[in-house]
Amino acid sequence: MRTALIGAGQIARQHLSCLKTLPGVELAAICDLSPATAEAAAERYCVRAWFTDHRAMLEKIRPDVVHVTTPPTSHFGPAIDSLNAGAHVIVEKPATPTFEELETLVQRAREAGRHLVEDHNYLFNQAPQEILRRIEIGEFGAVIHVEVLICLDILGPSGFADPNSPHPTLTLAGGAIADFLPHLASLVHLFVGPHRTAQTVWTKRKPSPLPFDEFRAVLDAERGTAALCFSASAQPDAFWLRVYGERMRATANLFETRLTFDRPRNVPKPLRPFFSGLEEGKTIRRAALATLLRKFKEPGAYEGLWELLARTYGALADGAAPPLSASHVLEVNRMVEALKPKKR
Amino acid sequence: MRVLVTGANGFLGRHVVGALLARGVEVRAMVRPAAHLGALGWPSSVEVFTADLRTSGELRRAFEDVDVLLHLAAVVSGGEDAQFAGTVAGTERLLDAMAASACRRLVLCSSFSVYDYSATGRILDEDSPLHLVPDVYTRDGYTIAKWWQERVTRRFAETNDWDLTVLRPGFIWGRDHGYLAALGLQFGRHHLVIGPLTRIPMTHVENCADVFALVAADRRARGQTLNVLDGRGERIWTYLSDYMRGSGRPGWRLPVPYWLAISLVRLAYATVFRTASKVPSILIPQRFESRLKPLHFENRRLRETLGWTPPLDYQQCVVRTYGPATPNAAEPSGAGALAVLNSRFNRRNRFSKSS
Repeated sequence: MRTALIGAGQIARQHLSCLKTLPGVELAAICDLSPATAEAAAERYCVRAWFTDHRAMLEKIRPDVVHVTTPPTSHFGPAIDSLNAGAHVIVEKPATPTFEELETLVQRAREAGRHLVEDHNYLFNQAPQEILRRIEIGEFGAVIHVEVLICLDILGPSGFADPNSPHPTLTLAGGAIADFLPHLASLVHLFVGPHRTAQTVWTKRKPSPLPFDEFRAVLDAERGTAALCFSASAQPDAFWLRVYGERMRATANLFETRLTFDRPRNVPKPLRPFFSGLEEGKTIRRAALATLLRKFKEPGAYEGLWELLARTYGALADGAAPPLSASHVLEVNRMVEALKPKKR
Repeated sequence: MRVLVTGANGFLGRHVVGALLARGVEVRAMVRPAAHLGALGWPSSVEVFTADLRTSGELRRAFEDVDVLLHLAAVVSGGEDAQFAGTVAGTERLLDAMAASACRRLVLCSSFSVYDYSATGRILDEDSPLHLVPDVYTRDGYTIAKWWQERVTRRFAETNDWDLTVLRPGFIWGRDHGYLAALGLQFGRHHLVIGPLTRIPMTHVENCADVFALVAADRRARGQTLNVLDGRGERIWTYLSDYMRGSGRPGWRLPVPYWLAISLVRLAYATVFRTASKVPSILIPQRFESRLKPLHFENRRLRETLGWTPPLDYQQCVVRTYGPATPNAAEPSGAGALAVLNSRFNRRNRFSKSS
């Protein structure tokens, strides 16, 4: 399967590293507006061809799959051109600045008989997958509520809040936080399904080029409720996922490997916290070591992306549907739309 | 002559602007939009051009009536991709703009990091081997970005038939930039001094700026690649002593022979980290060597090509770096400042002997 990548910036590195490990995948070309960036990526990953014009690349290489990893505001053009060229498209999140553009991409993919996959990588991290497994075998009971909370300092001067060069995400509704909404929404969707109603709070605590640096939301969804949060000020950095079931509660930090479960125990009620604490402490110590060790190896915190790509390419090779369908992508992005700040 | 200086308010850039002004050169200083220029004390004759090389659409205007470009701008912090985007893609955009102008003379601030220390024998000079593809991609983000910046610049210069001079400074030091990566490993105030007798390829920022100002106007520099060093460099132990005294940061120093340290790093890499895809930089033998390998450094070609000698000797540089700030950074400190610093050193004499 011939694959190509458009946009050789930061996240592209994870896609390229993973693609080099996948059997049956030929990384055929890399494209970037900067010739040096494209050539350097091609040299680093031993790719024969590099381009600065994605249309020229599509015409010459005729890839089966195209990864679109440009800044989010510029996904649409390369993605629709790739679909028109007959390629499946794996696009970084957020797929498009507006829902209408996403619908156009999905429609075009359906017409062309191709697949459009948005990178909802955290769904495929080990922790959410393990929680999902326990739900599916009935151990968890019905999911009542899910909380997803990202604490991430994005106010530093070299990233989203760069005072010299406006970050591309600042033009999105919600600014830099909009870059994280697909993570929050996709995890909520995984455990409680499509939303019915949403209430949001968007605020700004600190002076910066960002329009907002705090976000809260409460959702009523088809299978339960959810609370979503992004904080640029709360420290330390963490990505907490808590899933509350009828018979069990799961807590995971997706920036680490920590995953703990708490449940009713067959002991006198006053002793339950004691035994739960012992078990949780043991699990956390093991996770601390695993988190340290994974820093020395790829994919590290991008384990979900690697798993998503492996499953997607496996499905495409078998002629099967990829793990994230177009309807899934649309449902998640309908939720994202409901979470965006309302225009004043 | 009008010179466009990128990165003009940076650590080196602000001194280069001063050195150019001292030589009577007209300066157009390119700075980023959020730069604070008040403390620099530039005269009104300095024309400030605000732009960010990564995104600005007005770069062509920067070259209007410019005779020489001194390209100092580079991103030295952030991740590997941020450094590459800022340093390399930014250089591409800048030189695209230059190609559309009448300016044909370019001086690039490269770096010692482009040299492959592992492949270098006893002496490192301008003829020493550079990193090769694909090995360069095993190096740190700064090295990759500076290596690529030089590669891109040479390609532009060849395509457009420009007069190019590449200057490769060693470790640049000066006020507020006294600590150097060549000093070993720092743990709080304490130091693991690897190869304490190794000499550091170093240039004081004011001496380095003097070279850039000289090269901008000197025809003898055209087409040359020159290492910028003040001399053969101070020994790590000596400079670290001066740094600790001057900065008032006492601590313990534990000397470790270089051969022992590199042997341990190689052993750890071969046994524990060889299969790891992400390893702390200091534990990768090639990166360890590029910081600490004991080599002989000299500035012979710079001296012979331009007849240059550093305006400040080492002791004057120490005073300029650690002594009281002087109102005019372009002028060497006087005997008064030297006396103040000496008395400070004497007060700390007890610490010096005990550490």
